[in-house]
Amino acid sequence: MPLILVKDGQLDRSATAEALRSFLEGFLRAARWDLKVAVKTVDPAAAGESAETAEVLADFDGADKELLLERGAEVLKALEHLSLKALRLDTIFQERIHLDCCGYRALRLEELRMTARVAAERVKTSKQPFRLNPMSPRERRVVHLALKDMPGIRTESEGAGEERQVVILPAEASAAH
Amino acid sequence: MKELVEAIAKALVDHPEDVQVKAVEGPQSAVFELRVHPEDLGKVIGRQGRTAKAMRTILGASSVKARKRMTLEIVE
Repeated sequence: MPLILVKDGQLDRSATAEALRSFLEGFLRAARWDLKVAVKTVDPAAAGESAETAEVLADFDGADKELLLERGAEVLKALEHLSLKALRLDTIFQERIHLDCCGYRALRLEELRMTARVAAERVKTSKQPFRLNPMSPRERRVVHLALKDMPGIRTESEGAGEERQVVILPAEASAAH
Repeated sequence: MKELVEAIAKALVDHPEDVQVKAVEGPQSAVFELRVHPEDLGKVIGRQGRTAKAMRTILGASSVKARKRMTLEIVE
């Protein structure tokens, strides 16, 4: 099943949204879960600087939403992984596609930014590095972006695979290297 | 739920015509044996087994809804 979703180095948002909708609707029919999915596209240029990088968003709602959201939205994340594989997109385009359910992940990302800011304030005062819990590549990116303009600190990722975590360091530590 | 395993597997592989799912069903459990084209084995397993794990997570959720324990075996 060849899919052409990237044209001239740009993600073809409407073709991607259509392919994603088709996959997810087929999935819901086969699974017989009581859920509806709405897929929309976002033009990053029109969305402004503060917006997420998501260009194609699928949002689920319905009686079976707990199935997706239980245990830290484990099933939603699994479905996102399978969707990205089914679309056969390069890694750089994968982070522009988000699956969500009733705004759960948008809320989770906001919590993550708040946690990052609180931890960064602590590093500024204590001058000691602070390690956040291991996170997915997407979550780490959110943390790096949330803190990139904060004075007095810098961020790095350390560790491999599932254990990779963001470390917040005092800014002057970089001058010591 | 055989159709579910089939639908996901067909979307992942390059040879959907070679996707075969055999269901071994008991009263309280079901095992789905998934067979794919040899070239597609990596696609249904994924790096560090992530894709196979994602399919099992989905089946786990379906098990809760169907009140039937469902497992996935990928046959090489």
